[in-house]
Amino acid sequence: MSIATPSRQESSNAVLDGPMLEVKDLVVRYGRGRKAAAAPAAVDGVSFSIRPGETVGLVGESGSGKSTIGKAILGLQKTAGGTISYQGKEITHAGTAERRSLGGELRAVFQDPNSSLNPRNTVGASLAEPLRLRGVSAGDARAKAEAMLERVGLPREAVDRYPSQFSGGQRQRIAVARALICEPKLVVCDEAVSALDLSTQAQVLNLLADLRDERGLSYLFIAHDISVVQFLAQRVVVLYRGQVMESGPAAAVTENPKHPFTQALVAASPVPRPAEQAERRTLRESMGVRTASSVSATPGGCPFRQRCPLATELCAAERPALRTVGESDVACHYA
Amino acid sequence: MIPNVAPAPADSTAAAAAALPKSGPKAAFTKVSAHRLFASPGGVAGVLWLAALVVASLTAPLWLPFKTEDQDFTAVLSGPTAAHWLGTDELGRDLLSRIFASAAGTLGTSFITVIVAVGLGTILAMASAALGDRVEAVISRVTEIMMSVPGTVIILAVIGAVGTNIPVIMAILGILISAGIYRVMLGQAKSLQSQLYVDAAKVDGVSTLGISLRHVLPGLTNTIVVQSALIFAVGMLIQAGLAFIGFGPPIPQPSWGGMIQGASQHVYDAPWLMVPTGAVLALTVLAANAIGNALGKAPNAAASHLPSAAARRQRAKAVAAVGAAQVAAGTDAPPAKGQLSVRGLSVGVDGGPRLVTDVSFDVEQGTVLGLVGESGCGKTMTALSLLGLLPSGVVATGGQILWNGKNLAAATDREMEAIRGRDIALISQEPMRALDPMFTVGYQLTSAIRRLRKVGKAEARKEARSLLEKVGIVDAGRILKTYPHQISGGMAQRVAIALALSGRPRLLVADEPTTALDVTVQAEILSLLRSLVKDTGMSVVMVTHDLGVVADICDQVAVMYAGQVVENGKTANILDNPRHPYTLALLAADPHANHAADMPERLATISGQVPQPKDWPTGCRFMARCQFAGSACAAPVPLLPSGSEDGLVRCVKADELAVEGLEWVATEVPTHRLLDLTPTRTNVVEKDMA
Amino acid sequence: MALFITKRLLMALATVLVVAVLAFLLVHAMPGSPGAVSLGAGASQEAIDEVNARLGWNDPLVVQFVRWLGDAVQGNLGTSLIDGRSVSDDLANRLPVTASLAAGATLLSGVLGVALGVTAAVRGGMVDRIVGGICGMAVALPAFWIGIIFVYLLAVQSSVFPATGYVPFEASPQDWALSLALPVITLAVGGAAFIARQTRASMLEALQQEHIRTLRATATPTWKILYVHALRYASLPIVAGIALQFIGLFGGSVIAEQLFAMPGLGQAVQTSVSTHDAPSVQGVVVIATVVVVAVNLVLELATKFLDPKLRAS
Repeated sequence: MSIATPSRQESSNAVLDGPMLEVKDLVVRYGRGRKAAAAPAAVDGVSFSIRPGETVGLVGESGSGKSTIGKAILGLQKTAGGTISYQGKEITHAGTAERRSLGGELRAVFQDPNSSLNPRNTVGASLAEPLRLRGVSAGDARAKAEAMLERVGLPREAVDRYPSQFSGGQRQRIAVARALICEPKLVVCDEAVSALDLSTQAQVLNLLADLRDERGLSYLFIAHDISVVQFLAQRVVVLYRGQVMESGPAAAVTENPKHPFTQALVAASPVPRPAEQAERRTLRESMGVRTASSVSATPGGCPFRQRCPLATELCAAERPALRTVGESDVACHYA
Repeated sequence: MIPNVAPAPADSTAAAAAALPKSGPKAAFTKVSAHRLFASPGGVAGVLWLAALVVASLTAPLWLPFKTEDQDFTAVLSGPTAAHWLGTDELGRDLLSRIFASAAGTLGTSFITVIVAVGLGTILAMASAALGDRVEAVISRVTEIMMSVPGTVIILAVIGAVGTNIPVIMAILGILISAGIYRVMLGQAKSLQSQLYVDAAKVDGVSTLGISLRHVLPGLTNTIVVQSALIFAVGMLIQAGLAFIGFGPPIPQPSWGGMIQGASQHVYDAPWLMVPTGAVLALTVLAANAIGNALGKAPNAAASHLPSAAARRQRAKAVAAVGAAQVAAGTDAPPAKGQLSVRGLSVGVDGGPRLVTDVSFDVEQGTVLGLVGESGCGKTMTALSLLGLLPSGVVATGGQILWNGKNLAAATDREMEAIRGRDIALISQEPMRALDPMFTVGYQLTSAIRRLRKVGKAEARKEARSLLEKVGIVDAGRILKTYPHQISGGMAQRVAIALALSGRPRLLVADEPTTALDVTVQAEILSLLRSLVKDTGMSVVMVTHDLGVVADICDQVAVMYAGQVVENGKTANILDNPRHPYTLALLAADPHANHAADMPERLATISGQVPQPKDWPTGCRFMARCQFAGSACAAPVPLLPSGSEDGLVRCVKADELAVEGLEWVATEVPTHRLLDLTPTRTNVVEKDMA
Repeated sequence: MALFITKRLLMALATVLVVAVLAFLLVHAMPGSPGAVSLGAGASQEAIDEVNARLGWNDPLVVQFVRWLGDAVQGNLGTSLIDGRSVSDDLANRLPVTASLAAGATLLSGVLGVALGVTAAVRGGMVDRIVGGICGMAVALPAFWIGIIFVYLLAVQSSVFPATGYVPFEASPQDWALSLALPVITLAVGGAAFIARQTRASMLEALQQEHIRTLRATATPTWKILYVHALRYASLPIVAGIALQFIGLFGGSVIAEQLFAMPGLGQAVQTSVSTHDAPSVQGVVVIATVVVVAVNLVLELATKFLDPKLRAS
C-alpha cells in the first residue's frame, strides 16, 4: 500500500511554512494579435494562495475563467502575466521536463469521466502511466495501481478492464486514483463531480474528503456549484468575468456573502426544502440583480456593474480593489 | 479521375464514435476492430476475395493453364470455352491467365499509394493537432493548395517527366491524395488531442511526441484502416485508368486497364471481352470498399429525430397495437379537460428491453409536475412520449396518456401533429441545439406562429416580438434578427420558450430546461416559467434531476427510479417528509440540503448504481441498493397510498419507516470494508456512524 | 468581407504560382531537349543545339521561368514543339470542350446524386438499401468501362447517340448536346453515386440534430422539416462534395475524352505527354489549375454565404 503515513505528513508539513501554491496577478488571454489584446482577458489579475492541507474552492459561472486558472496552474494554458509558484518555486512557464521533475506532486482530476481516461488503454495502463514516466518498474506500478484502485473502492481486478466497462461514478474514482497514485501534495479538481448524478457525486465527494484527511492533501476545487464547494472547501474564491469578486472562509462566503454577485449566486442556488426555497426566491427577486446581459462587457470598472443593483458611476470609472470586510476580502466599492 | 478522395461520408459519424466510445464491454476493443469487420457479410466477402486474388496471383505460375504471352491463333477473340474459361483476346491470349498474373502487380502498386497517402496524411494531421494553431494553419494551407490542383493533369505531367514508372507514379498520387486524408484525419486527431486524458498526460509531463504516439495515434487506427481500404480502391481505379489511356506497364506485360483498352477496340465484334476484366476490377474495388464500409460503420450512431418513412410505418404498427389493447381493456372515466392523466404507461425499445414501466401520474390544469430521478431512470422517455417524440426505435408499448378525451399513447403520427405545438409544447435541455442554426430567431418564431395561429406574415412578426418581450427579452427587435449562435445560452432558452408558446399550448413539457445554464440564469428561467403558468394557466411537466428545482417550481412531484414511479405526491410532502428510501437517500446525498454551518463530514451515498433495464428484478428495483431492504422486497411492489394526502409510494416498508423515522446513513460498503486496515481510519467509521 | 475576398484571391494567385513552378520543373525533367523533340529522331546535334539556343533552353531555370511567366501573363503560353501552333490558341479551342463536359457531368451527378441521397435518407428501409447497393456498384465500376458499355448499348446497338466526336455549340446546339450526352452520362455515374453517399450521410446527420425535434414539436410539416430545414443544414457538405466533383471531373475528363474522341484539355495533355511537348503540357497544367482554383474560390464564397456562423464573422 502506498498510503502516506501520518508521520510523513507531519514531516512534509514541517518543511513547508509558506503556501503550497501561490497565484499572483494572473492574467490569461485567449487568441493572439491585436483582436485578442483588445478583448477582455479571460483571467484578469487573479491572486490567491493555498496552504498545505487546505482546500480552496474556485467558484464562478461559465466564462468566469475558473477552469482557465486551473489549466494555467497545470501548465495547460499559456499565461499573459502574473506568476504561479508551487512551494515557493515559480512554475508559470515551466516546460514539460520541469513539470515532470515536480515528481507528480501537482496533479489533476477533470470533469468528464468519459474523456479523462483513454478508452483504448486498460485502467491499469492509465494508472501506471505517470509512475512509469518516473521510472517505476512495470511490476511495481501494477501493484501500486491495484492498491490504489482498492483504496478508491474498486476491485483489484479492475486493472485489466477498460474504462467503458465502468459507470461514470466508477470512472471518476479511477481518475481520482490516477491523480493520487504518485502521492501528490496538491490536486486540481476541475468540476470533478459536475457530470455525476447525485448519489455518485456524493460518493466521489466523500472519497475526496477522506483522501484529503488521510494524506494531508491540498485541493484547488473548481466548480460552478457553490454548495458542492462548500462541502469540501475551507476557503472559497468567487470569480466573475476573470476577476476575484470575493474570497474568504467557506462558511462566511456562503452564509454571509458581502459582494452583490456572491449574494446573487448564493440566493440563486435552490435548496430542496420547499418552504425555505420560497423564502430564498422572494429574497432573490427583491435583490434587483439584472439579467445576465447579452451586451458584451466593456473593459474598465467593475465587471459586475451592468447587473449590479448597487452600481453607480464610480463602478464604471474605477475597478474596485479587494479589501477586507469582516472575514472576507471583497472587490466592491459598496460592500 | 482523382475525385473521390474527399472525406468519405461514412466516416464522419465513425470519427465521433471512435473518439467517444459509449459504454458496453465491446466498445473497448476499437483498437482491433476485426470483430466489426467479420460481423458484416460484405466485409467478410471483401476480405475473402482480396485474399483469394493475392494468393491466386502469387501462385499463378503454378496453376495457370497458359503463360500470359501464349497465343492461341485457333481461338482468337473467343468467348468462354473449356480450354479458355474466360475466353481469349485479339491475339488469342488466355484472359484468365492474364487477369490473374497481373493481379499481384496491380494490388502491390496500389498499396504504395495507400501507404504514402494515409501515412503522410496521418502524420500531418497528428502534427497539426499537436503543435498548435500556427502549425495547423500552415499545414492546412499547403493541403488546401494540394487539393485545389487538378490531380490527374499533374499525374500526367509527372508521367511525362519520369515515364511510366508505376511505383513512382503511384507514390506521387499518394502525396496528392494525402491532402484529402489529412482533412479526414484532422478533425478526429484534434478531438483526440483535446481529450481530458491528453491533458492528464501533459500534466504528468509526457512529451508532445509521446502524447501523439500513445494517445492520439491509437485512436486513429480505425479511421486509418478504413481510409486505407478506400484509397486502395481509388488507387486501383486510377492505375487502371492510366493503363487504359496508354500509360500502363510496357506493352506485352498485361494490366487490367490495358486489357480493357484492348477490349474496347473490339466492342463491336467481341463485346464479351469487356466482361471478365471489368468484372474482376469492379469486384476488387467493391471488396476494398466493402471492407472500408464494414469497418467505418458507426457502432453507436445517434438516433434520428425524424424517423425515416420505413421507421414511421413500423411505429404506426406498434401504435395500432397499443390502441387495440386499450380498446380491449376498456377505459376508465376520462379526466377533466386540460388535465393530463398518464395511466400505466410503458415505453420500450421496439422488440427490445423496457425503458419505462407502468408509470401513472396526473397533472391538473395550471400546475407543475416534476419528474425527478437520476439519469437512466426513464424521466426523459416518459416526457417525450407525451408528445409522441420518442427517439427512433423507441415506442410506447402500453398504457394510456389521456389528454382532452384522446389517448395519445395510441395516437397516429398525424393525430399527434395536430396536438404538438398547439396543445402540448416542448422545451429541452440545450437551448442552443434546440434552435436551427441556419435560420434567424425571427424566421423560426414567425413561421411557427403563422403555422400554429394561422395568421399573416405581418401579424406573426408583431406577435413574435411580443412573445419575446413576454419571455423577458428587452431588445426583442435585435434578437429577432440574430442567429442562435449569436446569443447566450440563457437568451436561447428564452427564445426556445417563446417558440414553445407560439401555439398557446395548454401543457408544456420541459426536459431539464435549466441544467445547462448558470444558476443565476436558472433562477431567472424558473421565475419566468412560474409567471407564465400563472398568466396562461397552462400546466408544466418538468423533468429534472435537481431537487432544488423541484422545491422551487413544482406543485406535485413524481420520483422515478429504474423506469418506475416510486413516490408521487405534493412537493412539500415528499421533500419534507419522504416515504420512499430512494427519495430519502437522494435528499441525504444532496449537498444543497445542508447549510455551511451544519455541513456533515460525509454525505450520504447510495451504493452501486441504477440498474440497466435488462437487469431489473421482478421485485423492488431499489432493493439491491437499499439500506432497509428485507426479504419482503423481493416480491413485486405496487404503488400504494402513502398516507400523506394523495401521496403514493412504492415500498413495502414505507409505513414501518414512517413510524420509526429512520435516516439514510452516510456510509458506503466498499470504503467500509477497507476501513479497518489502519487505526487512523477507524475514526472515519465512528464519524459515519455518529 | 472585402478583406476576406482579397485574402482568398491572393491565396488563389499563390496556388497558381506554386503549381506553375512545379509544372515548370516537371516539364524540364522530361526526357529530351525541346530541340530534340521538335526536330524528331534523326536530326543532327547542331540543328538540335541551334533550336535549343533559340528557345533559351540553356539559360538558367529562373530566367526561363520568368520569361515564361512574363509571356503567360500576357496570354502567350508558347508554341507547340510538335506542330508549331500557339499553345494558347490550341487550349482556347479545347477549354470549352472540357468545360462543357465537366460542367454537364457535375450538373447531372449533382441533381441525380442529391435526389438519390435525399431519397435514401428520407425513405430508409428497402429504398435505402437499394440505393446504397447501386451506389456501391457505381463507385466500383471504372468510368472507362461504363463508357464502353454505353457506347456499345446506346451508340452501337441503338444508335441513339453518336458514339464519338464533339460538335461545337456554335455549329449546332442540338448536335452539341447529343455529342456530349454519352460522355456526360459516363462521367456522371460515378459522380452521382459519390454525391448520393455524401448527401445521404449529411441528411442523416442533419436529422439527428436536436433542432429537428423542436421543429416537430412545433408541428412543422414533415416535408418542410426535410426539404427546408434538414436539407439546408446538410447543404454545406453537399455543396463541397459537388465542387470537389467538378475539380475531379475537370482534370479527370481525360478518359472520357480519349474514349469519345473529344478534343479537350485531357486529350491535349495525354498527347503532349506522349510526345514530350513541354510547352503544351505546361500550358494545360496552368490552365486547368486556374479553372480549378477559380471554382474553389466560388465554393468558398458559397460556403461563406450558406453558413450563418461564417457569414457573421
